[in-house]
Amino acid sequence: MIDSALVVDKGVTARDEWITVPADRIRDALSALKKDGYRLLVFLTCVDHLVDASREFPARYELVYQLRDLDKPADLRLRTFIDGDPPRIDSVHDIFPPANWDERETYDLFGVVFAGHPGLTRILMPDDWVGHPLRRDYPVGGETVEFSEEHEIWQTPPDEA
Amino acid sequence: MIESPGVTVTRTGEHGAFGGELLTVNFGPHHPSTHGVLRLIVDLDGEQIKRVEPVIGYLHTGIEKQMEALRWQQGVVVTDRHDYLSPPINNLAYALAVEKLMGVEVPPRANALRVIMSELTRLSSHLVWMGTSGLELGAMSMLMYCFRERDLIMDLNEEISGFRMHTSYIRPGGVMADATPRFLEMLDKFIREMPGHVDEYEDLLTMNPIWRSRTIGIGVLPAEDAKVLGATGPMLRGSGVAWDLRKAIPYSGYENYDFEVAVSNDSDCYGRYLVRIKEMREAVKILRQALDKLPDGPVNVDDRKMLPPPREELETSMEAVIHHFKLFTEGYSVPPGDAYVAVESGRGENGCYIVSDGTHKPRRVKFRSASFVNLQALERMALNHMIADMIAIIGTADTVLGDCDR
Repeated sequence: MIDSALVVDKGVTARDEWITVPADRIRDALSALKKDGYRLLVFLTCVDHLVDASREFPARYELVYQLRDLDKPADLRLRTFIDGDPPRIDSVHDIFPPANWDERETYDLFGVVFAGHPGLTRILMPDDWVGHPLRRDYPVGGETVEFSEEHEIWQTPPDEA
Repeated sequence: MIESPGVTVTRTGEHGAFGGELLTVNFGPHHPSTHGVLRLIVDLDGEQIKRVEPVIGYLHTGIEKQMEALRWQQGVVVTDRHDYLSPPINNLAYALAVEKLMGVEVPPRANALRVIMSELTRLSSHLVWMGTSGLELGAMSMLMYCFRERDLIMDLNEEISGFRMHTSYIRPGGVMADATPRFLEMLDKFIREMPGHVDEYEDLLTMNPIWRSRTIGIGVLPAEDAKVLGATGPMLRGSGVAWDLRKAIPYSGYENYDFEVAVSNDSDCYGRYLVRIKEMREAVKILRQALDKLPDGPVNVDDRKMLPPPREELETSMEAVIHHFKLFTEGYSVPPGDAYVAVESGRGENGCYIVSDGTHKPRRVKFRSASFVNLQALERMALNHMIADMIAIIGTADTVLGDCDR
């Protein structure tokens, strides 16, 4: 059973149960829940709440861990809020092995740094990409597209190249 | 290390069992057997695989970012494109998530049509899998047979939605249009013929000595490892775990259909093949029940704030014109909060997690794709096998790289 001191907040949204835990105790919370029977980490992701006036959020980045108990079956969503540049949190890849790629993806797209991850590199975007595309302050359509007229290589006349 | 794709480099300092050095070989990304654009960095001792590192992202199209810039009803079109072998199942995950957050229940006929489209898609996805995997392992005629029946499913898609592949048929609030009488006739004929075709595939593969020697005992994934690695779908059921979201957490009225969960205890490539064959037979069974019990009634929710009014109302009702205008300029808004819905696709658990900030566009849409998670089990399955077995292992894992990279 998860220590009640770990649970900051809990509730049910759209029939989904969730609890909020402090970011620095995330590994304790996930280990305790795994012992409780939530043995599958369905996914791990991040939500950027930059300028979100609809609700009150303690921090900009919300990390979401969706857990499942295959025997009952029951789902539980675990949330935690972090701030900072870059935002940092402990890696959970050794508790839930599928978190390995999910953490790389969250690092790639949101710039969240997972301390203790064995190889935190970009996974979906090219290795030399600058910026983290799923942040809300990253514009859609802001990048130059190869072979388009804006792309500088194709703007250079052949005699100057 | 490897500096660019297509280059083979010998790593020094590591030695294999026969005294030779481990050879690092680049596999893909443009390799016909990688089912998309998958690159693998493989360490070989002779021909034995000692390490596999999948490199993904070649088909990353940023659809999660795109959906943040689209209105809730426009997002459906993008969901089609992520797992391109099962568009209606992706639509369903997204539609169910939006409906869950809005607290909307669709009418029974819409649910039945959703089940019909999901099962047709599952068949079509398994047909593509079987055709291409057969082709890779030397059963060339499989591709012809499988694509013949897949084309019938495409015709059904075209008849009901107007599109052959990216149907966008299932939408938040119901489905695009009611099934035409011709669709029901075509479906009936398809259901009557399909079991015979599945027998044909089995005649070609199940006892085929080449197929059996290429798949039996290859890529063994024990049940406990499959669970720990988070594998879902035929990968998990092929390891003897009877976990199917349609039974465990039913959605769209799957609890009303009588079908069995396909399981095989073989845990190898052949077991995963048997699971898919069984699933095709069960899909036909579900289709028959859905068609026979197809309820009458509307196929969309009666909510003018969510779906446009019928064409004839626009000429007589001012209110209908206002609803129509609002819907196509601003769209509808979803109450603040988040919801997750998981559906069983041909590859495993394809889920959709949405976050709304109360506006007419999503704050965040996350697709949980089965291929992305299942691909992490590749190294576990391929270790100490021959490099040629890699083809069988990638094939029966049935990863779709569009689904994996999103």
